[in-house]
Amino acid sequence: MSLYQLHRCVYDWVRAGEVNSGTDVDGRLNFDDTVYELSVDERKAFVDRDVAGLYQLGLHQVLLNRFCRAAGFARDDYRKILEPFGETEERRGRWQR
Amino acid sequence: MAEIVLAYCASHAPMMSSARMAAPEAQRKNFFGALEYLKDQAVERGVQACVVLSNEHFTNFFLENFPQICIGVGEKNWGPTEEWLPIDKVWIPGHEGLANHIARYTLDHGFDPAFSHQLELDHGIMTVYYELDNEMKLPLVPIVQNCAVPPLMPVRRAYEFGKQLGDAIRSYTGLQRVAVVGAGGLSHFIGNPRVGDIVEDHDRWFLERLERGEVEQILDMPDSEIELAGNGNHEMRSWLAVAGAMAPLTSTTLAYEPVHPWITGMGVAQWDTTGTQQGTRQNQEEPA
Repeated sequence: MSLYQLHRCVYDWVRAGEVNSGTDVDGRLNFDDTVYELSVDERKAFVDRDVAGLYQLGLHQVLLNRFCRAAGFARDDYRKILEPFGETEERRGRWQR
Repeated sequence: MAEIVLAYCASHAPMMSSARMAAPEAQRKNFFGALEYLKDQAVERGVQACVVLSNEHFTNFFLENFPQICIGVGEKNWGPTEEWLPIDKVWIPGHEGLANHIARYTLDHGFDPAFSHQLELDHGIMTVYYELDNEMKLPLVPIVQNCAVPPLMPVRRAYEFGKQLGDAIRSYTGLQRVAVVGAGGLSHFIGNPRVGDIVEDHDRWFLERLERGEVEQILDMPDSEIELAGNGNHEMRSWLAVAGAMAPLTSTTLAYEPVHPWITGMGVAQWDTTGTQQGTRQNQEEPA
């Protein structure tokens, strides 16, 4: 099970490009994903910047949102990518009763 | 003893800073007008320090260690962490005395908050704090909550924590006038197929419960129901903590706007700290 490793990899990649990360160089440029124990599918999804793949693999949605922003996906764009995975909601909240 | 002289909650969509003008003018004016009013109130009431509750967005903590509550006890904290947020990156003064008192008090009263001597503050706190003090010099005690990674603190416990937080602030002798602020919510979805949706009927229901003192109707909501208004709706924990801190007072909604360009139901609500509200335990539903 490498889902944690996938999260760690994506998180480190996102953080590598953020302010206060300890370097003036964009750490994402030479990011080494080989140090993470990823499955073949996980590595491919990360390397390919495959938003749908990462979503299907179970990447945390807060992290996926940050990944999309860092990878240059606008919200409307990644919504279109994820829309096919949406499910019709049958449940109702108490505010709807 | 310190007095809570200002208490409010506001949504913290990062786009309120990074894409401010994307919102329709009327919505923008209503939302920021409420925050401007609160900023004026802070000046008028001589607020000496603020406690701001918001949620962790994988900025300080990750899956190896993810506290439900973390109190920033350091002399200063850094923010905002996001390189794209158009707020100056600065060291923000903390208030070690108040922060450590809150940590000690809540430890003595049934909670086990983590603490940090240096936090990075992301849009969660920085957007709302910046609107409170554009110069970012007002001493800030940040309290970061887990509103994202299961298992989450039940919303009732967030409310109960707030009660202890309020008592902690009021028992602190090092200051006279403190603001307590919740930042986050209301309905929004991120990182999933519904990103951009806003559940306006939930948001209005939620704000109305706080106004009517019917918070008990919220406090037994399971996470699965909260998420019907978005995974970002878990951030209601910051609002409920402030509601707990101010109980039995009830809130007044200053603004609500479903701002689609910001993908968030944007609310602002204030608790009357002037002593004029006739809030009593009787108008709150007690837990069963």
